[in-house]
Amino acid sequence: MNASQAMDPNPTTLKPTDTIECAAKYIMKHRYRALPVVDENFTYLGTFGVNCLLKLLIPKAVFIDQGLRNVSFIHESFEDLYERFNEAKLEPISICMNREISPVAPDTPLTETMLQLYKTKHSIPVVDPDSGKLLGVISYWDIGEKVAAVKANKDA
Amino acid sequence: MHELNQPNVILGLSPAWFAGGLFVLTYILIVTERLNRAVISMTAAALMILGGVLTQDAAIQGIDFNTIGLLTGMMIIVGVTRESGVFQYLAIRSVKVVNADPWGILVMLVLITAVLSALLDNVTTVLLIAPVTLLITDTLKINAYPYLFAEIFASNIGGTATLIGDPPNIMIGSATGLGYNDFLFNLAPISGFILLVTLVPVYLIWGKNLKASPELINKVMLYREKDAIKDWALLKKSLFVLALMMVGFIVGHDYGLQPATVAMFGAALLLTLRCMPHGPEKQSRLVSSALERVEWTTIFFFIGLFIIVYGVETTGLLESLAHWVLELTGNDKTVTAISILFVSAIASTIVDNIPFVATMIPLIKNMAGSFGGTGELIPIWWSLALGSCLGGNGSLVGASANLIVAGFAERSGQPIRFLPFMLMAFPLMLLSICISSLYVYWRYL
Repeated sequence: MNASQAMDPNPTTLKPTDTIECAAKYIMKHRYRALPVVDENFTYLGTFGVNCLLKLLIPKAVFIDQGLRNVSFIHESFEDLYERFNEAKLEPISICMNREISPVAPDTPLTETMLQLYKTKHSIPVVDPDSGKLLGVISYWDIGEKVAAVKANKDA
Repeated sequence: MHELNQPNVILGLSPAWFAGGLFVLTYILIVTERLNRAVISMTAAALMILGGVLTQDAAIQGIDFNTIGLLTGMMIIVGVTRESGVFQYLAIRSVKVVNADPWGILVMLVLITAVLSALLDNVTTVLLIAPVTLLITDTLKINAYPYLFAEIFASNIGGTATLIGDPPNIMIGSATGLGYNDFLFNLAPISGFILLVTLVPVYLIWGKNLKASPELINKVMLYREKDAIKDWALLKKSLFVLALMMVGFIVGHDYGLQPATVAMFGAALLLTLRCMPHGPEKQSRLVSSALERVEWTTIFFFIGLFIIVYGVETTGLLESLAHWVLELTGNDKTVTAISILFVSAIASTIVDNIPFVATMIPLIKNMAGSFGGTGELIPIWWSLALGSCLGGNGSLVGASANLIVAGFAERSGQPIRFLPFMLMAFPLMLLSICISSLYVYWRYL
């Protein structure tokens, strides 16, 4: 078993030019944790999800390397968060998408894929290592459904 | 020249040529930054022994353990203390004291940076203050550049003020026996004055245009500085040890206590107080975490450097160089002191001031005979301290703290570029050196 047999080959994707506001509405509506971002050739560019949205709502000084670790003195309201979101909402998602999630190759063994999934904490993209094209996405649910199907098949 | 049993140098080369060549090569490699500086200095130190200039025993004699101990002890203490959140408390409190007025904030952050740099070390200080600065300027929607620029200056000027503020001072203090109080009484007043003078052009160029809306100012005023304190017990222990240490630095000199002993005892005491309430496993984690905070790269860089300079010193090369310098200055103490002040400032603008000062110390010691004893060298030591510490302000590469602040600026999307910084910083640094030269001349010559 490998990643290509566990993935969803028709994932929902975002474009790098989608605005943060548009992507946020879509993610909130469907309760996605993260979606892959691809260009017009379906080349994988990164991932945009709830973590990227949370990052936009927290002061920038926290996320710079060696930045502010202690933020317990900052007390903000939902209005403050909305204001911060408002400042960024018309920007394209490419400015804040996560580029650090390592995609897996389609022939990655199942156990290694699951370890990657465990470490990443949300869906991971499956990418052709030669062309860089997105082939699918693996989520907890894809794995869970396939494991549950084993029992169903046995019972049948 | 030192009376050392010097073994034969490799390939029959003259020890002076071998050690001098290795020293110059080391310097070039450090300046070009092609390889980590600690690796360069450790390799060169090993070659000094393998090449036959020094025996291993002689090399160990060359290491100034007073400097190493003081640096290590202070790094441990600062590393543990910062976990309490006290530095953020101080920064936020100071900002609220001036009602979050943008220019007032700049002045307060500059003062906090200078004072912390004098009492701790510059790098740790800017690591703690720069992120708070970026948070505040982001909240007020004002340009962070003037703040970061002024903090770079404050860290180097503050570091000049005390024995423990900047590594050159630690090295000079250790080599000469000048104590904490000597540095405090001789360098702190002029450092304070230079800091105030520096704020004038900062105000004229940026300060008078710094404005923020009342709503944004109110947001900063809503910060609760007390909440920044993460561990009140640790805070009390840290402040107790820091206060004890300051007393140790101030009175210890009269009782023959070296600063390294005070700092290492302070570190040990703080770790004891930190570990005491916990079980063995937690203690082990706490001690490991505290020791991880020590910048071992810096410590090994120093160790290697001391061996290299000692190797050169044993060959008599620095003595010859000292005579040559004295010929150039006509054996005149005033000319020598002022020349060293300016040369060390320019050198520290371009290269790391640590290897420069490590080389200058034995060179200056060799001048004692010409000036009538070691006591006569005092103005020259102050010139070296002022020049090498303040010279760090001349360019972005002049001090480690400058590069750290520039890194923060870059990552926050408000980069500090090398040339624009230097165009403003170099003349300001020269102004501080001119003030220092007048001070040295007026007070000591």
